[in-house]
Amino acid sequence: MSGNQKATAVLGLAFLLIVLGAVVRQARQPAVVQLTPTLTGQPELCLTCHEGIEEISAAHSIEAFGCVLCHGGDGLALDADLAHATMRGGRNPSDLAVVEESCGGSACHSGAAEDSGDHIHRVLTSVQATYAGAIAQVNFAFGGQADATAVFGITAVTDNNITTDTGLAALAAFHPGSDAPGPVQAFSSDCLLCHLSAAAIEAPYYYRATGCAACHVVYENDGLYRGSDPTTPKDEAGYGRSHQFTTAIPYYQCNHCHNRGNYSLRQMSFLERDDLPGASSLSAQEQRELEYYQPISQFTLCEWELDCVDCHTNGEVMGNGDIHSHQQDVQYVQCQTCHGTLTEMPLLETITDPAHPAIISADLNPNYSVELGDTVIATTQGETFGWVQWDGERLVETGKVDGRLYEVPLVLGSGCQQKPDEQESAYCHECHTYERTVK
Amino acid sequence: MARPNFFEHLHPPTIPAREARFGYTFGLGGMSLLLFLSLIVTGVPLMFGYVPTAVSAAESIRVITYVAPFGWLLRNLHYWAAVLLLLTASLHLLRVVFSGSYKKPRQFNWLLGLSILLLSLLLSFSGYVLRWDVDTYGALTVGTHITQQVPLIGNWLYRLLVGGPNITDTTLVRFYTWHTLGLVVPVLLLIGWHAFRVRRDGGIGHREAEAVSGKTPRLARRELVQREGVAALAILCVLFLLSIFWDAPLAAPVGRFAGPLAETSHIAAPWFFLWIQALLRLWPPLWAGVFIPLGVVLLLALLPWVLDRREEGTAVWFHPSGRWAQVVVGAITVGIILLTIVEWRQ
Repeated sequence: MSGNQKATAVLGLAFLLIVLGAVVRQARQPAVVQLTPTLTGQPELCLTCHEGIEEISAAHSIEAFGCVLCHGGDGLALDADLAHATMRGGRNPSDLAVVEESCGGSACHSGAAEDSGDHIHRVLTSVQATYAGAIAQVNFAFGGQADATAVFGITAVTDNNITTDTGLAALAAFHPGSDAPGPVQAFSSDCLLCHLSAAAIEAPYYYRATGCAACHVVYENDGLYRGSDPTTPKDEAGYGRSHQFTTAIPYYQCNHCHNRGNYSLRQMSFLERDDLPGASSLSAQEQRELEYYQPISQFTLCEWELDCVDCHTNGEVMGNGDIHSHQQDVQYVQCQTCHGTLTEMPLLETITDPAHPAIISADLNPNYSVELGDTVIATTQGETFGWVQWDGERLVETGKVDGRLYEVPLVLGSGCQQKPDEQESAYCHECHTYERTVK
Repeated sequence: MARPNFFEHLHPPTIPAREARFGYTFGLGGMSLLLFLSLIVTGVPLMFGYVPTAVSAAESIRVITYVAPFGWLLRNLHYWAAVLLLLTASLHLLRVVFSGSYKKPRQFNWLLGLSILLLSLLLSFSGYVLRWDVDTYGALTVGTHITQQVPLIGNWLYRLLVGGPNITDTTLVRFYTWHTLGLVVPVLLLIGWHAFRVRRDGGIGHREAEAVSGKTPRLARRELVQREGVAALAILCVLFLLSIFWDAPLAAPVGRFAGPLAETSHIAAPWFFLWIQALLRLWPPLWAGVFIPLGVVLLLALLPWVLDRREEGTAVWFHPSGRWAQVVVGAITVGIILLTIVEWRQ
């Protein structure tokens, strides 16, 4: 064979092998899974890699919403980097920086005339998002402002529909300059860890998302994903328990921010609790007792056994649409809300409107239901506890998180010696303190 | 004897052996031709999938790339063939300059070759624009605005390219038509003419004196065709290897599901125009985007008349008679490479 013939044979063989390589690559391409959500009418291929992922919620069905409507991204790209590069808020479209674009709109979660229906506005003005209380207290304490009325928030926010005495018109963004008192500057740079836009501390017990998902997407204490999306890592911390929204928010979800330690104003740093149990064989109840509240606190049995959301209402947690200087301005539920007083039953309301918020809220929770004609606890602020129902003889609470049934004892007719003007929980704790059983 | 056909015209019964060595031409002209044909062979099927509208362009590319069987391969082959073509064509130009093959009587064919290279650059740019994503949209915006800088006819040129005061569907259709027809047909004709002229100018540039003496070793047509076959197989191997392992780039789409344009990545120009982008950082657009590139083109075009008019030294590497031409082209090459590297690292 001549040199040319040899070269032709070798290169020809190489070329055939290379073409075979192309066939192999084609054969290994995943079978495309296409979804055309009814709300967008635009095909998307996300499920090619994410088939099996949990539907985020029944109200956001995958058939109607698909993925791109909320997440953004390049829904036709099957290259992970390209597909994900333009997602809103990274993995979390509910991050407050992008929430209006992802979750807003008058057909969705913003733009309603009433504050109560404008969830995004309520959250953006809430103390959980503005962190206005802590900022005002610290700035006032160290001479940065004349009184403790909030002036600053994490981001600038305005409210042109003030409905409460403590409502404020606007907050400016908190960016203390070099002329601000030193401790205020230190606070600003080191202590703004606990608000809805702050990234989580990346450690067990602290893993959580931001924005809506900070509460409504549950993170386990170890931060591991337990769902069935084939491409979400199962051994890498920092993911929600599953790709699902819930209103059955367990106590430990709240605890990813709350009851995790204290700020030292002297050092201007966050001091983490050191008494949290590591991986162990504790029972759920023991874990709850150890984790629930910090040791210095005093609580009643129901505060240990129930979950935070069994008492703290939507309006308290997500805000009432006004900007406030203190979380206490919106926090109003007391023991008497469910237990009544020596002279009065708790407020009750019988549901007659099929569109009543109690029915809508119950539909979003898997553990209790409210039907027309049910009589439920009402609050002084016009909210209802659909999960605490009066059957004519007894008041029964259904745990929002676990569905457990509790009979709610009434103060009326009991031997309780409370004074009528001492209804705050601190007074109740004097007699009804529960000591934890594990040490 | 029958009149020789075009293939036989390009492949005479014998050619000078020295100049037919791979080590002399590196097969760059032939490789460029093969790559250009590959671009047509892969480009036509891509036209069956590509939708040249602002709303659907990015989407149709994704269907081609991710859904159609072997669509990714077609697109990658098309992309890499274009990259390789610009490289082989540029190297072909350098070979011609440094071996003195532009000299009389080949000045006209030098112009034809240069035209093919310039049109290939425009073809590559128009193809880049068809991606219609944030990167290429940025390049399109910058590129078309540069044309506005051209004195006297700038605005007319801009409207001719863009099809109106703003970039719209019309712009995309114009670039699509230039890319698939308006530039392709002229380049094809020029390539044919360029190849035809090689023979008309006395065959591939060779040492005249030796040819006349009749002592020059010569190579048979069959051997030449075999060598061409080997080179073709080699370049096809490279082309397919690149296409299997490295995907042609895509960025976030412009339009329906686009993010804000502010997120346009920092590199807007395609790789072959990065050097102009680097110049645009240094000087005003009239100079960086118009006068300097045009000056380079003009200098290259006039090279056989202005920089080196002498006949001796054809087919001799770095012959002293072509010193000026070699230095100027060498400097331009080094300048473009350095500017490209600098801009790439930005």
